Amino acid sequence: MRGLSYLLMLGGVLALPVHATDAQDWLGRLAEAQQQQSFHGTFVYERNGSFSTHTIWHQTSGDAEVRERLLQLDGPVQEVLRVNGRTECVSGGLADQVAGGQNWPARTLDAKQLSAWYDLRVIGESRVAGREAVVLAVLPRDQHRYGFELHLDRETGLPLKSLLLNEKGQLLERFQFSSIDMTAPSEADLKPGSTCQPVRFVESKSIDPKAWHSEWLPPGFDLNSAVERHSVVSSEPVACLMYGDGLARFSVFLEPLHGATVEDARTQLGPTVAVSKRVTTTSGDVMVTVIGEIPLGTAERVALSMRGRDMQAAQ
Amino acid sequence: MSREALQESLSAIMDNEADELELRRVLSASDDAQLRSTWARYQVARAVIHKDLLVPKLDIAAAVSKALADEASPVAAPVAAVAGRWRGLGRLAVAASVTLAVLAGVRLYNQDEVMGTQLAQNNVQPTLPMPQVQGAALLAGYTESSEPVSAQQSKAVSPSQLNWHEQRLPGYLRQHAQQAAMSTSDGVLPYARAASLENR
Repeated sequence: MRGLSYLLMLGGVLALPVHATDAQDWLGRLAEAQQQQSFHGTFVYERNGSFSTHTIWHQTSGDAEVRERLLQLDGPVQEVLRVNGRTECVSGGLADQVAGGQNWPARTLDAKQLSAWYDLRVIGESRVAGREAVVLAVLPRDQHRYGFELHLDRETGLPLKSLLLNEKGQLLERFQFSSIDMTAPSEADLKPGSTCQPVRFVESKSIDPKAWHSEWLPPGFDLNSAVERHSVVSSEPVACLMYGDGLARFSVFLEPLHGATVEDARTQLGPTVAVSKRVTTTSGDVMVTVIGEIPLGTAERVALSMRGRDMQAAQ
Repeated sequence: MSREALQESLSAIMDNEADELELRRVLSASDDAQLRSTWARYQVARAVIHKDLLVPKLDIAAAVSKALADEASPVAAPVAAVAGRWRGLGRLAVAASVTLAVLAGVRLYNQDEVMGTQLAQNNVQPTLPMPQVQGAALLAGYTESSEPVSAQQSKAVSPSQLNWHEQRLPGYLRQHAQQAAMSTSDGVLPYARAASLENR
């Protein structure tokens, strides 16, 4: 009898880490499913002030080629065709702000890396698009990022629903399939429409990542890219730095003010926050704008921490 | 309906004994001057009976109505119609101290539309106090106190300053969303975010 109770206690102790590993496994299955599972379906995307419906056709084949076509079903035609994560063509204004001269790293979900900054938990079961789903909570370990609630298809591991929640648990955006079919789409469905054009990259150049740096970054966020391009408004060179923690991302834009008096600003558009702060450098004031799917306080702290190289020299 | 019945209902309300029907009856007749004066007399009588403090002639209803009317006027001003979607951001730029939990209803624009907004704003007095965003649904946590509004009024802001953010934020937002969509292999969510910025 005593042996049994020890066994139960031992089971209780073991169950905890097993639970976390379980959640990590599910994230691993998610990443794998996107490479290996063909499907097509329709989903809704909702954020504060916007609601849209889309169709996705996703085909994976034996030679590890992943073809994916996305089409917005309501409002203006927005279309993207991607092959192995690389954008083949887009329609509408969907990619007219993409900077060229830059190898955008196609990042994949790394469950292990994420678990350093997020607490991963399986919190229950649900049903989405007529399918059984496992609910995964991706909870931030600090106040510098948002949490997700992911509903993964029990059979394939594909994300059927994703909710972005702020620190108060308020819903910031919803992605949710309304119907999904786990069979390969037809060749005809994967053919892009006539308005789908190859991406025209905006002229830009890579800059020395050390030209600007942040004295403080939320833990886990790394610099993913650094480019400079000319502002459409003032033709000023604007540096753009992009940071990510493997799940959340933010961009920092740095534009010289040349004596213009502009106030600081901040706003939030659904999941995306925008904070502008004036920073003084030896070569004049610069407006630092942080935009990303991060909490307002984090964005504000990043904006206040940006330093130019010449500022270091001046100190 | 007879006046007696109305007055009976009125006194029932005074005694907190009116039913739903009576309450509605009185409310629908509340524009009636005679009824209002009867109501005021009842209040005086009750105050005397209970030895309550009573400020005669204090018409809270009228004060509230007036406050509501005053508040509504800036919304109805032509500025509201002219102002583009990015007025919201501009005002935020001015009242940076206002913490907006979530700003909805600010829709996006493409470049030429922003230019149009800018042109329209050149003949607009930018210091008018206006609600943060017309028709916007704001989440809890957002409080609109009179303080930031008065700060807005007192601060003279040049149109160019208002426009600085309005001109740039749309581009920045789109650049961020599109580059995010390009830099992930599991780019469905970033794609949807970028697409939602294009919808107007």
